[in-house]
Amino acid sequence: MSLIPSKKWVLWSLVSFSLVTLSLPTIIIIGASFTSGDIIQFPPDGFSLRWYERLWELDDFKDAFLRTFQVSLICTVVAIPVGTLAALATVRYRMRFQQTIQVYLLLPFTIPLVVSGIAMMILFGEIRILGQLWPVGIALCLINLPFMIWSVSSTVNGLDPELENAAHSCGAPPVQTFFAVTLPAVMPGIITGALLMFILAFNEFLVSLFLTDARTVTLPVQIYNSIRSVITPDLAAVSVVYILVALLAVWLLDRLVGLDIFLKSR
Amino acid sequence: MPKRTLDRLPLRWTLLDKLEAIARFLWPARLRGATGWLFITPALLLVGVLLIGLGYMIEYSLHELDLSTYRLKDAYTLDNYVFLVEQPVYLRVLLRTLLAATLVTAMTLFLAFPYAYLMVRTPSSALRKFLLVSLFLPFFIGQVVRAYGWLIILGKEGIINTVLLKMGLPALDLIYNYGAVVFGLVQYMLPFAVLLIVPAITAIGEDIELAAESLGANWLRAFWHVVLPMARPGLVGAGVVVFTLSMTDFAMPEILGGGTTDFIASAIYDSFFQLSNSGLGAALSIVLVTLGSILVAIVFRLTGAGTLSIRQ
Repeated sequence: MSLIPSKKWVLWSLVSFSLVTLSLPTIIIIGASFTSGDIIQFPPDGFSLRWYERLWELDDFKDAFLRTFQVSLICTVVAIPVGTLAALATVRYRMRFQQTIQVYLLLPFTIPLVVSGIAMMILFGEIRILGQLWPVGIALCLINLPFMIWSVSSTVNGLDPELENAAHSCGAPPVQTFFAVTLPAVMPGIITGALLMFILAFNEFLVSLFLTDARTVTLPVQIYNSIRSVITPDLAAVSVVYILVALLAVWLLDRLVGLDIFLKSR
Repeated sequence: MPKRTLDRLPLRWTLLDKLEAIARFLWPARLRGATGWLFITPALLLVGVLLIGLGYMIEYSLHELDLSTYRLKDAYTLDNYVFLVEQPVYLRVLLRTLLAATLVTAMTLFLAFPYAYLMVRTPSSALRKFLLVSLFLPFFIGQVVRAYGWLIILGKEGIINTVLLKMGLPALDLIYNYGAVVFGLVQYMLPFAVLLIVPAITAIGEDIELAAESLGANWLRAFWHVVLPMARPGLVGAGVVVFTLSMTDFAMPEILGGGTTDFIASAIYDSFFQLSNSGLGAALSIVLVTLGSILVAIVFRLTGAGTLSIRQ
């Protein structure tokens, strides 16, 4: 693409602005977490790891981190089979009410999170499972399920149905066909979806706010509750944990399926 | 002799045979035509949880709060909805939210389109990767942490203000106002918008653009008459997602608005947890769901589902 100078200039100035707004909070948080002062200021007082040491002593945050990890794991483990099968069903199989099913499966996106969160809080309260950790995982899986279905269905679209027919005519029974032909073919979609589900559950805030209490609070909610008071660098150190996890997720996504997967036309 | 070969069969084969037998037993061939339904059922059940919750919500919204006991009365009534209509404060909150969502959508699309365009069109794969990573990283870091980052930068004793004070300039009110919330939402929505616009731009052949330019259109006109109309499915999809997500957001108005700029989500939260009036909160939730659905339905009716449809 050879760009005309004026076009290049306009494009780049807009993109640079976006890049700054996207990256500035991350950079500032990392910088702030290494300050040796008691408050966050610029220029910082000096370099130290004291806030990370303090973080290690804060059991609240450590526990919240472990709980968040657990919740995200539950969410991902549930989402993989449910989302994969749903994507196969919607793309592969001819069903009646196809249109209705699609609208129905998009409900987690069309219903505002604040409403979903409170609705599930009411429901979980009525059936007395509120206050446990696993329902939070299920709830987070539910609200992000369309992401999983999308990721898988985009690879199902690229899968040639003749491959399955070939397996059949070579004598492979249905289960073997599923595990030997269908599943490997949609694996990139499953990996992408599973990673998305995990990371989105890991930083989900609003629904967790309604479904957790002081004993089951997850990390994003814990951070939100601490933001209210004075801004101290220990919160920046906690946030760096999130930045590291996000970096790891981006790296994994790139290694396993390649980030370019999101650039494909649909 | 045949026995020996059977012994040597790999474990996987035996297992798979068992699995096939179980599958045949549980799902005989005559049900084969309904396999689609078998596959979709778990998802239908999972989303069903949400529907049941919504059912409770509708039921709650039809009961008025008894102020002597702070529980909902048994009698059915539409009083909660009437109250919402009669109190001008709710209309004000609604209008404030809708205006913010409109501003956020316009600004986000304005920024997201060039980003997506450059990412798709650049010949440099290093630049493409850099743009992708810069997009995914904040997306994966989460809303609360990003809002916290902006708090450090824009806050009353934040970085910008300390620098201004050191230079002898007066401090600015950069936070706890409408503009901060809108800005926070724009940077939060940017990754969503770019990722939804990208497939639409990928679908436009670069030769079409070149053709327009070689026929004498300058790049702005080629953009306006060729690229933008062809990218419409992506723009519509992104616009709908950004609008509905920012219309219903809670964290940005709370953290960057600091309670000065209540959105509908804040009003719902307050009805439940400050006023302890779950009937009123439920009614407000139902109004929000209805309003959102109507808006999305209108846009889709006018323009089609764009890049949002599951089946491509």
